[in-house]
Amino acid sequence: MEKRITGITDLDRVTRGGLPAGQTTLVLGEAAAGKTVLALQVLARAIERGEAGLFVSFEESPDQIRRDAAAFTWGPSLLDADSLAVIDARPRLSAETAGEFDLEGLLSIVDATSRQTGAAWIVFDGIDQLLRHQVDHNAAINQIRRVDEACAENGWTLLLTGKTRHDGTEPFHLEGIEFLLSATLILSARIVDQQLNRSLRIAKYRGSGHVTDELPMLIDNDGVALPYHYGDENENIEASDERLSLGVDRLDALLGGGIYRGSTLLISGRPGTAKSTLAGRFAETAATRGQRTLYISFDELEGPYVRNLHSVGINLRDPIAAGRVRFKSLSAYAARVTEHFLAIRRLLDDFDPDCLVIDPISALLKASATEGAEIATERLIDMVRRRGITTILTSLSGVRDPEGEATQGQISTLADSWIVLDYNVRGGERNRSLSIVKSRGSGHSNQQRELLLSDEGLDLAEIYENGGEVLMGTARISKAQEDEATARRKRLEWQQRQNDLEQRIAQAEKERRRLSEMLELEAEEYNEAARFDEQGRNRIRRRRDPEIEEPEHGDGFNDN
Amino acid sequence: MPLLILFVTGDAPRSRRARANLSNMLERLGRSDLTPREVDLLDQPQAGLSYSVFATPSLLKADQQSDGALLYGDLSDEQRLERFLADLLVQKAEAG
Repeated sequence: MEKRITGITDLDRVTRGGLPAGQTTLVLGEAAAGKTVLALQVLARAIERGEAGLFVSFEESPDQIRRDAAAFTWGPSLLDADSLAVIDARPRLSAETAGEFDLEGLLSIVDATSRQTGAAWIVFDGIDQLLRHQVDHNAAINQIRRVDEACAENGWTLLLTGKTRHDGTEPFHLEGIEFLLSATLILSARIVDQQLNRSLRIAKYRGSGHVTDELPMLIDNDGVALPYHYGDENENIEASDERLSLGVDRLDALLGGGIYRGSTLLISGRPGTAKSTLAGRFAETAATRGQRTLYISFDELEGPYVRNLHSVGINLRDPIAAGRVRFKSLSAYAARVTEHFLAIRRLLDDFDPDCLVIDPISALLKASATEGAEIATERLIDMVRRRGITTILTSLSGVRDPEGEATQGQISTLADSWIVLDYNVRGGERNRSLSIVKSRGSGHSNQQRELLLSDEGLDLAEIYENGGEVLMGTARISKAQEDEATARRKRLEWQQRQNDLEQRIAQAEKERRRLSEMLELEAEEYNEAARFDEQGRNRIRRRRDPEIEEPEHGDGFNDN
Repeated sequence: MPLLILFVTGDAPRSRRARANLSNMLERLGRSDLTPREVDLLDQPQAGLSYSVFATPSLLKADQQSDGALLYGDLSDEQRLERFLADLLVQKAEAG
């Protein structure tokens, strides 16, 4: 099947390449479902590509059509172009019917007009306004068949719009037409919870794969968009081994060096548990690495947000000024979930960041929409993962249930890592705690740690365990002091003992010296006495033995 | 003097029927003197644009006061056609 791209990227995505070329596509929908806008946008995109278009209006005046188009960003390119022709084919109000008629005259006029500009895209907007004059239903069917034949003959790719009733069924004069044509799009606009919810469904696409679900659709200044169906669905996601620091050394260490590049980290916790601080620190750290972060804050303005971070030593001002951080504040209540999603998607397209922070993603739960926040967050995580964007999502949780809303939104299931921040209340004080609930692909500590917040930023306290319990705050401090006192006492005791022993050694030394001296002295005395005795014995021996000549000069005592 | 314009597409069956039905009705009303102008949109598509007539066959009854009245179809519904052309009978009566 040959297809012609519509130039509406999201629509081309869900139709796998556009609408059937040289054929008629039926676009059905209630009043204000967006049929005319869709058709005008297709023509605008065709004209931007240098093609030409023809708009045949059966319902609105050409002036009204131009006013419709002027409201959109692509309006000027459509309205200023010579390659757009508008035919006012509104039936006269007073017209009556007397028998069968056909559209041969119309086809002749369209043929002549399209030849002037070479229009390949043709829109018949609101043809039911003419067909309802047709008495015979089968004749109406045959005329649509004839229109489709004319498409094939002339190479027109035609959008045929028609109104359905409010219950979504087609009016009698359009019944059976979709069986005739290759492709049918059904647009709807329903009011749910006082909000207009638009959707688009490809009811039929003969010979082509397509997305069959009812797809949430938005119309804003850029025209029709299908927020969840963007063009760039990259199937080959590179799993990076690179770790990105969160800017808190001890936390990085717990995560095995940081979070993987391209992964998603959920930080959940009650108000005031320092979720924003942790997220801000990450963005600041990313900026110092030269990486760019899109920073989305729900319900808090840039000025106060950045100032508050500054008070805990986190500087986002410089990275913002340097263009490394783009800060965008969104108001949760002001738009529907799909609109927020689309806004974020466009910001990502525009800024093309390395990292994304959404603080808090749980704000999406406040925005209303039938599809709910779950799909939006799922799609969001899928989108950033496919784009390789390292993402931090914070989630506000309830007082009784610190893990509640995050689980509800299934973000925690989808996120690669999950850090839960909380307070521990004991002994009349609150202390911030941090625990890593999961961290895919990393060995991580499961221990709850105390998170310290000061002017210098964030840090984790040293672990103080006490009987299997992690101590925090004053309990941790008093335990630390107690431990220190014990240590000091032991140190003093040892010093005392050391001194004691040293003294005893000194005393012993002194005694040794004294005894040693005594030994020396006594040894001397003994030797002296011994020599004296020897001399005495020699003298006596000589006296008793006359043979032995008396020395002439004997020892002194002989002469006494 | 109203002007009748019959918009047709060549010699298509519905166009032929319309031509015959109109001719018969004018005769019945005694206005065979009126010769409807015929516009073939296959030859003159621009005429369809200028008269804002897109469905064929169609009968346009132009007059000075407004942009005229339009009747779609092959004119096989005699009652409608007669009603559409009723004022021609009155005008004839006034004129005669």
